[in-house]
Amino acid sequence: MRPQNPLAEIAAVNPRRGGAVLASVLVACVLILSAQAPGRGGRGTVLQSWILTASAPVTGSIASISRGFWGAIDSTGELLTARSENGRLRRDLEVRERELFRLRAEVRQLGAERRLAAEGSALPGIVGAVPILLAEHRSGAQSVLIGAGSAQGVAPDSPLAVPAGLVGRVVTVGRGVSRAQLLLDASAAAGARIARTGELGVVRGDGRGALTLNNIATTSSVARGDLVESAGIDGIYPRGIPIGQVDSVSRGNKLFLEIRVSPAADFARLTDLLLLAPAPAAPEGLEVGRGAVR
Amino acid sequence: MKLSRIALLLAAAAVLEFFVGGSPHRGVLPVDWFLLATATVARSGDFVRAVLTGTAAGFMEDGISQRLLGMNAFAKAAIGYALTLVAVRVVFGGALAVGGALAAASLVNEALVALLSALLLQAPIVILSRDAVWRAAATGLMGAALEAAWGFSWAEWWKRRRLRRLR
Repeated sequence: MRPQNPLAEIAAVNPRRGGAVLASVLVACVLILSAQAPGRGGRGTVLQSWILTASAPVTGSIASISRGFWGAIDSTGELLTARSENGRLRRDLEVRERELFRLRAEVRQLGAERRLAAEGSALPGIVGAVPILLAEHRSGAQSVLIGAGSAQGVAPDSPLAVPAGLVGRVVTVGRGVSRAQLLLDASAAAGARIARTGELGVVRGDGRGALTLNNIATTSSVARGDLVESAGIDGIYPRGIPIGQVDSVSRGNKLFLEIRVSPAADFARLTDLLLLAPAPAAPEGLEVGRGAVR
Repeated sequence: MKLSRIALLLAAAAVLEFFVGGSPHRGVLPVDWFLLATATVARSGDFVRAVLTGTAAGFMEDGISQRLLGMNAFAKAAIGYALTLVAVRVVFGGALAVGGALAAASLVNEALVALLSALLLQAPIVILSRDAVWRAAATGLMGAALEAAWGFSWAEWWKRRRLRRLR
């Protein structure tokens, strides 16, 4: 951990210059941050949109290479497994076993595709599928970069989902790349409804990988295992998409219950998302406007 | 450290960030590559370049992951300065020390960004989450491994290996 060259040693002897630069940089950062701090209901800034647009070709290519690389590794892993499996039977039916393996893989793939199509068709207003280029989980912020932008019809606040359930919404749109906020983000929220009782509340991310359902009165009969779905009252998420299942219910303050919800979607292994058309807010019910859904 | 090398480091960090972050196995080793790039420059003992590298790396990270540009830049500039101070003032070194310093720096980075998010976006403060601790551990491990590889005399090892094979 020592300086490597004479120039560096000279610079190291007098860190005042570095201190001055640090102070200038920190002040500049604060100014830039202050200039961007959005009001309530603000969307992504123009600056960020430009950055996303400019970085689209590079990020797209790196993501393609990454997918190819990891795909090759996965394929190699699968190949090794297949080889060890076939090795036991190679003496007897090598040719037939290979053929059987290939056919099984095809059938499995076909089954998975059919299942995805069938489950996905239950979601309302599907615009298309979009790949995830990068997922970032930092300081409570849980976001993903998706490989689609305004050129592919992505609009701010477009909901994102997987067949299992709701995932989040687009916040900043570039031409070919967009940034989305996941439901698990510490400042994300969505209007929600308990499917069994029909009660309305607000689902919020806790920034640690779980969700909480707020604004449910203590008189509610909500129980562990109840399905929580989007209520379609926030002007962003369409009605009826699964969000998760009630994990635990406890008495919170005097008025509302403290309800933890385990997400329906597997956020740890997201690779592709379904882009949905934004839903207009329902006229009646609980008001969960854009101000609440930051 | 030359500017071209710093630019190369930042480019490599960005490529690695996407390469790992875009894969379904992203959770296995969530290294903060931008922090490693900043620490590499800080290791050379130049305060100004370390601060500026941290700023550039932070801005790149903000561009892809944060709602506001400048939060990671703020954090990484300060960390760049602090790591340079550690590099020129602390006498002992080695892979363990480097790994520990980087893990701590990663947690500080998280804390600063969380604090700025709370101040500017009224977001709940999330600091010691499982993700943050795992990221710090991964960054520390990767930094320690790189430090160990950097300090290892590969030429001598290769020479010895060749001699052994000739015998």
